[in-house]
Amino acid sequence: MTEAFKLQPLDIEEYSLENGLRVVLNKDEAVPVVSVAVYYNVGSRNERPGRTGFAHLFEHMMFQGSENVPKAGHFQYIMKAGGTMNGTTSSERTNYFETLPANQLPLALWLESDRMRSLAVTQENLDNQREAVKEEKRLRYDNQPYGQIFDLIAEMIYKNFANSHSTIGSMEHLDAASVEDVREFFRVYYAPNNAVITISGSFDTQTVKELIEKYFGDISKQPLPAELDVSEPTEVAETYREWEDKLAPFPAFLIGWKVPARRTPEYNALYLAGKMLYDGDSSRLYQKLVKGDESVIQLFGFTDERRGPSSIFVGAIPKPDKDLSKIRDVIMHEVADIAKNGPDPNEMQKVNNQLVNDAVRTRQSSMSRAQQIAEFALYDGDPSLINSELEELLAVTPDQIREAVNKYLNTENRALLDIVPAGKG
Amino acid sequence: MTTIPDFRKTVPQPLPPVQFNIPNFSRTTLDNGLKIVVIPDSRLPLVSYRLAFNWGDVNDPEGLNGISSAVAAMLNEGTFEYSSRQLADQIERLGASISVHASDDFTILSASSLSLYGSAILRLAAEMALRPTFPEEELDLYRRNTIEHLKFQRSQPGFLANEQAARLLFGGHPYSRVSPSADDIEKLTRDELQRIHSAAMIPNNATFVVVGDVDKEEIVREIDDLFSGWRPGEYIVPKFADFPERKERTLTVVDRPGSAQSNIVLANRAIDRKNPEYFPTIVMNQVLGAGASSRVFMNLREEKGYTYGAYTRLDTKRLGGDFEATAEVRTAVTGDSLKEFFYELERIRNEDVPGGELDDAKNFLTGVFPIRAETQEGLTNLIVNQLLFDLPNDYLQTYRKNINAITSDDVRRVAGLYVRPDEMAMVIVGDAKEIIPQAKQFAEVIEIFDTEGNSTVLPDHEAAAN
Repeated sequence: MTEAFKLQPLDIEEYSLENGLRVVLNKDEAVPVVSVAVYYNVGSRNERPGRTGFAHLFEHMMFQGSENVPKAGHFQYIMKAGGTMNGTTSSERTNYFETLPANQLPLALWLESDRMRSLAVTQENLDNQREAVKEEKRLRYDNQPYGQIFDLIAEMIYKNFANSHSTIGSMEHLDAASVEDVREFFRVYYAPNNAVITISGSFDTQTVKELIEKYFGDISKQPLPAELDVSEPTEVAETYREWEDKLAPFPAFLIGWKVPARRTPEYNALYLAGKMLYDGDSSRLYQKLVKGDESVIQLFGFTDERRGPSSIFVGAIPKPDKDLSKIRDVIMHEVADIAKNGPDPNEMQKVNNQLVNDAVRTRQSSMSRAQQIAEFALYDGDPSLINSELEELLAVTPDQIREAVNKYLNTENRALLDIVPAGKG
Repeated sequence: MTTIPDFRKTVPQPLPPVQFNIPNFSRTTLDNGLKIVVIPDSRLPLVSYRLAFNWGDVNDPEGLNGISSAVAAMLNEGTFEYSSRQLADQIERLGASISVHASDDFTILSASSLSLYGSAILRLAAEMALRPTFPEEELDLYRRNTIEHLKFQRSQPGFLANEQAARLLFGGHPYSRVSPSADDIEKLTRDELQRIHSAAMIPNNATFVVVGDVDKEEIVREIDDLFSGWRPGEYIVPKFADFPERKERTLTVVDRPGSAQSNIVLANRAIDRKNPEYFPTIVMNQVLGAGASSRVFMNLREEKGYTYGAYTRLDTKRLGGDFEATAEVRTAVTGDSLKEFFYELERIRNEDVPGGELDDAKNFLTGVFPIRAETQEGLTNLIVNQLLFDLPNDYLQTYRKNINAITSDDVRRVAGLYVRPDEMAMVIVGDAKEIIPQAKQFAEVIEIFDTEGNSTVLPDHEAAAN
């Protein structure tokens, strides 16, 4: 039935300013709301040794004021205009975004352009945000059971420093960050020619273009940073590690595989294989382990999609009396079954319907459209891929899935992390 | 040296405003009492359904804690026509989803799919709601998994804080239970689940909401076909214990050795959802702590750097609610954080909010309103809330007008009524021996619990008490 389904293409217009800022407009007037997403081509992968966590700390500094916007003014202006905003940092990019009532678009452009051209950096603000980031690290990682396992397994999977270190970084490196580091990072990575701005929602195209030229047109371009080497050998850095978690109530394990870059045919095939293995109550591993054997409390899996070598994970928190190695055998047995026999037709139909459903659903909000479009523009140089991505995924064949699983989800490029509860002892 | 052009120096003027109209909706009622509300929304080929019952965890009968949530969770574990596995396969093969959740006040079945599969998913939703069989082996698995989840949530500081705060504010009322115990779960039987299903899931206590790319007459006809045979029952209004009266501030510490932070919750009882002071109270909460531009965030995070985030929150339920101030702070500044929280709580009670700050809060609340209605799920949730809490028919249409009418006097009045620092339950989860010396000056009554919820003392209690 999926063949009959044609998704209405989104209206996409792309152009560049003279200073190299790439602009993408996606007009959609269903609701009088507009979203702005600014994506800078810098993430934790660009950090140097001794400065892990810096890209994210820098993201916090972007809310500390600029020439014409006071400290914390960004939050306040957006919220008092009835908008929402945030910024996030990943290995791949740092993004800043806001959603506002449609008539408040000039405010977003004023704020984003002022910090792109004239970020204010002071020792006091840096010290304050360093503390906020340390609390974020404690909150999300250090004070949560199993909170650190995804950072640990990335170290095991990747050999290249650019890929292997965590985005939140270490306390020591956060302490070492200086005002000079912040200024240099801003100069190198926060230039208009290293960024994409996407505007999605309700607007008049001519008005938006004039506003963008007015606010961003006079920001100077910079020499682009050197091309980053994120290449990796096939095998993982470390195949096994045991880790004591003093907050974990139960033993657990996490398996990670190193796989090819996003949007390669192999990655797409593995993304679909992952859905078959762990996504939803009808997935293979849920039916085998949560139902069937009744051996796990929690099962989870996902892909970490990057421009370079990426990864795919499966993990479980087994019930207290269960043998972890038997559970891993079940997982590897299912993986081997797909590697040998490929997915069955029902699974293919299911995954295809899920892909269509996901694609339609994520188009509902102007913010999720703006973010997806900005990623395609930044990573692939082609924002209109949002209109062909679904077809690309639906074109994956059972044979491609079988071959990719066979080639990549084996034990050579597999990292296994055993988590041992160390509290209360 | 270049000069800054004038347009950079000041906040730009907004463009002309664009109208946003929440769609009106009409209601139909089937002979058996099932209320149906349909809002056609053809922006995308999607449909969302909600079958919502005025029955939640609060309705768990004496001795059967956790049963309403168990009924909700078990609806997809087997019906007359399908096994648990078959249901999962059927739903997911359409790329769709159906989930059922019981909250304190309500049980809601949510289904969504491409409109192409709207009829198929509606049929499965009806099968789950009307004809569940609660198979013994699935119930057994539910019991064992839930007991493990209960153990797991005791490792999470947020859960431990909420558990104590609810106990302190709501006493013998069912709102005091944030979770059943393992013993409660052990006691659940298939017979009892069936009994509660029959009592709770009756058409005359339910509302069916459809938002999506549908034809109104046709969808009402489909619902009628599937649900008109559903027999009405009698909803018996339960009796609940009164909420306890609090006369003083208390300190409750949950000792969680190894903690990297202190989780602080300062709470007092506040308003239920239909309280006439709802609008001034949410405006007050917006000024004080609901967002990243609110006072407590600006103070504890932006000025002091004590925390990643500090907020205040209103939880307005059908029968009552609470006001909370919360932050996760580094252990060494627990006492300093309490001091700043109480400073802000007193300030909003004792000083008028300046006009500009009040307008900012109101502009936020009115401005985000269309953003919340942007997705089909968002619009559906707004409508379901209006219906379940029995808010006025024009609630969504008049929401922005009601917010705009709030004055500084209103804010000060409700702050005096619903922010009660002298009666607050202070709950702090973390390293008790570090926390107590910093926090004991803020309360006369101090109690300590372990992470299992048992009352305890510190190993070196003297050291802490001195």
